[in-house]
Amino acid sequence: MKWFYIRWGGVLIIAAIIGVLGIQRYNRDVTAISPDRLLRDQPAQTVRVIGMVEAGSILKEEGAVLFQLSGEGAKIPVRYGGEESENLRDLKTVVVVGMWNPTTKTFDSGKIALVPNYGFVTAAYLISLLPMGFFLFNMERKVAMLYILIKEEKVYQPEQLTEESLESR
Amino acid sequence: MVASRLIAKLQRYEGWFGIAAGLLIMVGLYMGLVTSSPDYYQGEVVRIMYIHVPAAQSAMFAYTVLFGGSLWYLWKRDPVVDNMCHAAAGIGIFFTAIALVTGSIWAKPTWNTWWTWDPRLISFAIMLLILVGYLMLRTFLEDKEKEATYAAILAIVGFIDLPIIHFSVEWWRTLHQPLSISTRGVSIARDMLIPLLLMSIGFYLLFAYMLMVRTQMLYLQHLLEAKRGRMLSKVHL
Repeated sequence: MKWFYIRWGGVLIIAAIIGVLGIQRYNRDVTAISPDRLLRDQPAQTVRVIGMVEAGSILKEEGAVLFQLSGEGAKIPVRYGGEESENLRDLKTVVVVGMWNPTTKTFDSGKIALVPNYGFVTAAYLISLLPMGFFLFNMERKVAMLYILIKEEKVYQPEQLTEESLESR
Repeated sequence: MVASRLIAKLQRYEGWFGIAAGLLIMVGLYMGLVTSSPDYYQGEVVRIMYIHVPAAQSAMFAYTVLFGGSLWYLWKRDPVVDNMCHAAAGIGIFFTAIALVTGSIWAKPTWNTWWTWDPRLISFAIMLLILVGYLMLRTFLEDKEKEATYAAILAIVGFIDLPIIHFSVEWWRTLHQPLSISTRGVSIARDMLIPLLLMSIGFYLLFAYMLMVRTQMLYLQHLLEAKRGRMLSKVHL
């Protein structure tokens, strides 16, 4: 049983590492901040901002689209220079990826993404992988236990060698 | 017996099946969750596909194994094959349940409902009920021979549900999307297809590994029960 638990300990460690990497990736690439937080923190690097496209704010310029993005009581002007996107519509909640320009006080974006919905993805994977691991662990443990039981009860010994069977003959 | 020998031979490589399944699933998960692109309309939620589709395929494969094994059992009366069928049904229930639950989670953001009376969903739920019925039948009967025979007949009759599941999206207008990979071609982007294939092969190997472990478990359980029963009967005498 020692090797069995060592093996499953290894599996748990690998699962934990994958989990940590997944959370790190989620924080880096998937989570988005609100316009309110963008105005407060004014980060210098590329960020993802989630908000609703204000109705009637979309203005098309040459090579760019200007609109207002609102969320949590704040509003930011966005200059979008990426490919034309069907998702850029009035009252649509979107994620814009880009950088805050403190001189023009505009958020310069080159990419528009859909709201991640990652809660559903996480739920689906956890609900599948955790019971799968538990199911497999339980089965393997049972096999190992049965081998031990059979060994302890000497079930594997041929019957003709036991005293009882000799007497009965 | 041919089938028993084949099962025994395959069980020697049991560990390799487990390792290969683990590696393929890990790479598939990485590609599916990190490197593959999100869907244009569904966004990130499309990533549920990499667990839902392989689980559904493995569930149907488990039933196919159960069907083949049941035919073989009725023909040759091989108890090892019967054990394997019993194991396949248990694992089949597990994969069917995973496919139904993940499908339901996927349906909420895309169809705006957790469940709908769609032919694909209904036929799949019927498969779950047949498998549960199969296991219940096996626990009700005392006579092992009769138990195995009736269970095999139920599994063979229930197999009619499999083509219905497969072709339901073609025969009826359904909410469920049609086949992505068929004789008409592949209607899925390459960077989504590769992780999906890796996960599918990984799940098939995982099913094979689980089948070997569970068949072994059931065999050992029967062995122990039989020996204990024999010992107990001697004590009573």
